[in-house]
Amino acid sequence: MIYLDNAATTLHKPPQVMDAVVRAMTAMGNAARGAHGGALEASRTVYNTRVKLARLFGCPRPDHVIFTANSTEALNIAISGLIRPGDHVVTTDCEHNSVLRPLYRLEERGAVLDIAPADRLGRVACEDLEALLRPDTRAVVCTHASNLTGNVLDIARIGEMARRRGALFIVDASQTAGALPIDMEAMGVDVLCFTGHKGLMGPQGTGGLCVRPGVEIEPWKVGGSGVHSYDRRQPREYPTRLEAGTLNGHGIAGLSAALDFLQEVGVEAIEAKECALMDRFYQAVSAMDGVTVYGDFSQARRSAIVALNIRDYDSAAVSDELSETYGIATRPGAHCAPRMHRALGTTDRGAVRFSFSWFNTQDEVDEAIRAVGQLAEE
Amino acid sequence: MAEGDLRWYILFANYEQGLALHGLLTDAGIKNRIAPAPRAIQGELSCGMSLLLEPDAVEAARRCIKEHHAEYYDIVPLAGQIRSRRDKYC
Repeated sequence: MIYLDNAATTLHKPPQVMDAVVRAMTAMGNAARGAHGGALEASRTVYNTRVKLARLFGCPRPDHVIFTANSTEALNIAISGLIRPGDHVVTTDCEHNSVLRPLYRLEERGAVLDIAPADRLGRVACEDLEALLRPDTRAVVCTHASNLTGNVLDIARIGEMARRRGALFIVDASQTAGALPIDMEAMGVDVLCFTGHKGLMGPQGTGGLCVRPGVEIEPWKVGGSGVHSYDRRQPREYPTRLEAGTLNGHGIAGLSAALDFLQEVGVEAIEAKECALMDRFYQAVSAMDGVTVYGDFSQARRSAIVALNIRDYDSAAVSDELSETYGIATRPGAHCAPRMHRALGTTDRGAVRFSFSWFNTQDEVDEAIRAVGQLAEE
Repeated sequence: MAEGDLRWYILFANYEQGLALHGLLTDAGIKNRIAPAPRAIQGELSCGMSLLLEPDAVEAARRCIKEHHAEYYDIVPLAGQIRSRRDKYC
């Protein structure tokens, strides 16, 4: 199988990730619960992973790296813990439902939501977003890169706008963590939400949020913390404040090994390879009759995604044909991005998404080009 | 299968319903395959997965669903859009 669904999850992981998970499952106790060897092994692994993530994302304090099961949980924690009924929030058409649905739910409870529009190429103009900011805007919540088109938003510029208006800036880095450079400080990000199983190449069930010191997020869940057991309330210190319950220590051990791999290879090298594969695919398929590609490929920096449709074919039929006849794994349908499909005019049939990773090869891309070419001919 | 031939899709509200019926149909020897649900027939309730049936398996599938009180959203025929380079669907 040629796996080109890396925007959903990277299927091919560095071998050391698997080794680390297996090792952890034979050696790891419960982090922050006790002081025996197994518990300390877990605590050390979890802490070291916080340090690595803080370094990768420019988060000033490792203890402000909070682990969750995925980006969606991180975004729910950030959004529900910072935004209250009556608050004004700004987001964009580019968002995944992991941003939109928590915001819609808050809207039903009295928050006021404004959404910056995307054009037919899926681009959001920073000026349009800035025009929605008000003196009382509580937060801007936006993705770093669209999971559908791969278009990157100018996070540094939006962060500067938000900071100037006194608004918090929450970023969904689901598609970019590990794949593009991120620096919270330089980009003015208050809360960075990430997942471990996509560009970071760690196990599923890992993710988290990095919180700028001084940002006070109210807990989404409360419970066992391993400390202050006689207190009725959840401890206020990060990361304990937001991490009730046993962590996914085995998964975090795998994530830690994945971060070592990223450090060794370098995010810039990963970005360069993935974008070269994407560009090779884009240049070939965008020139084919009957193929419509979505997104802005004039951007200097983008996520390694090419979404397309072929003739008037349903995206599910194309993806099924790619899988069953050519052995190529892609993702059809709506991609949990309803507003982006509306902007692109693809609500009715969705789109077929090809997404590339460090472990893909030029030969695989050429095979995908050949397959799209044959389908477009018929 | 020639272009224009009907393919039959069983649609679901979620993956759990689909995987449960996939097991029931397979156990009953009824050929079926998990496939992405075409957008054109998904409707409001259905999810992105479907079970694809050959036309001559539809009635057996209906009987199996009835016998096991299996949950599903709809069973829908759809003309194939793509002339495939393979000749089997399940």
